[in-house]
Amino acid sequence: MSTEETGIPGTAPSDIVVIGAGQCAAVAARTLRRRGFDGGIQIIGAEPELPYQRPPLSKEYLETGDTDGLFLLTEDWCADKDVQLRLGEPVLGLDPVSGSVRLADDEVRADAVLIATGGRPRTLPGVSGSRVHTLRTRADADRLRDVLVPGARIVVVGAGFIGSEVAATARARGADVVIVEALDTPLRRVLGAEMGAVCGSLHRENGVDLVLGETVDGVTEGSAGVTVTTSGGRRIDADAVVVGIGIEPVTGLAADAGITVADGIVVDEQGRTSLPNVFAAGDVASHFHPLVGGHVRTEHFDSANRLSTAAANAMLGRSQPFVDPHWFWSDQYDVNLQYAGHATSWDEIVVRGSLSDVDFCAFYLSGGAVRAVFAADRGGDVLAAKELIARGVPVSPDVLRDEDVDLFELAMEEVA
Amino acid sequence: MDEWVDLADMTELARRKKMRVEAAGEAIALFHLAGRVYALQDSCVHKQRSLIKGTVLHGRVICPGHQWRFDPETGEAEDQDVCQPTYAVRVEDGRIYVNPTRPATPVTPLRAESR
Repeated sequence: MSTEETGIPGTAPSDIVVIGAGQCAAVAARTLRRRGFDGGIQIIGAEPELPYQRPPLSKEYLETGDTDGLFLLTEDWCADKDVQLRLGEPVLGLDPVSGSVRLADDEVRADAVLIATGGRPRTLPGVSGSRVHTLRTRADADRLRDVLVPGARIVVVGAGFIGSEVAATARARGADVVIVEALDTPLRRVLGAEMGAVCGSLHRENGVDLVLGETVDGVTEGSAGVTVTTSGGRRIDADAVVVGIGIEPVTGLAADAGITVADGIVVDEQGRTSLPNVFAAGDVASHFHPLVGGHVRTEHFDSANRLSTAAANAMLGRSQPFVDPHWFWSDQYDVNLQYAGHATSWDEIVVRGSLSDVDFCAFYLSGGAVRAVFAADRGGDVLAAKELIARGVPVSPDVLRDEDVDLFELAMEEVA
Repeated sequence: MDEWVDLADMTELARRKKMRVEAAGEAIALFHLAGRVYALQDSCVHKQRSLIKGTVLHGRVICPGHQWRFDPETGEAEDQDVCQPTYAVRVEDGRIYVNPTRPATPVTPLRAESR
């Protein structure tokens, strides 16, 4: 790759600070060093731990507690690459003029900053206590694992991806699970009713009691557990409640510095905020994406990787925007679910494969072109579909349905 | 001891681009890429998904499960510290022989990010 591309005017930075020690920090640090950046890199994180992956926290790590492959950086690597880690130190402020970063007892100079502060779980008003859980950090996962024991009665509030994965893991650990979801199918907001229903069936087939179209009115704690009351008049006794109703991006630091915030920190496809030399990536960033045709805030591992890579490159004057289709996976009950692209409305959903066998790839078509796909155990199809989504050219539904058509050849044909 | 096993027909692999075969009780994924044949353990080192159900894109074998990307020659995974096992391949008289006891290249603990 050329090193002569120019992205930001002015001189190259000599000191880069990443606020938030998670996925984005690890990827940005690796990218910067790989690109030959030899200035200072400091990663400042509020959590006391080395950067770790969050996807396993609701899946394998929650199930087993196995830290194998969990951590993203090691102390050795950081020492070897001269990357300074400051863990357990919340950032209190960012000076919009000097770029310096304020900690409780220190001020760190920076001429480029990446804000990757992530999000904090939404809570239910009035619902708290020792038997109420949310899941965001490794410590949260450890605490939750302790109560996911055979026969434990677990109520999961919210059938989004986190709630669904927690339910699946709880079942794998032998717990009894009730999911309470406000909408009429799980995952409706992302997948729509039809595919949401497929996910609902998956839960039921695995012994989960799904309570749909009801909200939680309250949780009362007794000596032997809690009672969850719902808008439908149900009273569900449980040993623990897991609230999985989404996250709020941690934008206070950016807003205080005068950076434009709308849902998340508003950035372009290279992670640039409204403030020069200040970037944002990960769950906190509402990024412009050409395939979306606007800004979108995603909470995906892959988006975090790609946007923080783009931001690290942009800091060094290299233009490598995040323009590929969005992509994420969710492992539930030994089924590998994947979604690619972005669609909030569509003309039709075309299914390749079998919904009842949970072996399919569903194409969300709009204007004749594939805008998104949702697949179960069809990762290969998703890879091909990403190419179709990226190109946005019309494709015949019959061709998509036809299992004899090689999707990759189809995607490549469209190029020619 | 060398244990070369006759596993596939070159013409067929060239047409199908990828094939799942078995040798010594091990599922092996064969890929045909730019005129060369590569053999990797089919079961992904990450979450044991079958690589043959993935694809080859931009010279990398991509696992269908979580899109880990492997160098077909070394088995090295992009941005990961682990390697997918690879096997030595020999093509003779239109037949593909794989040695399931021998890696394609000496496997040493690679640190992908240290480059």
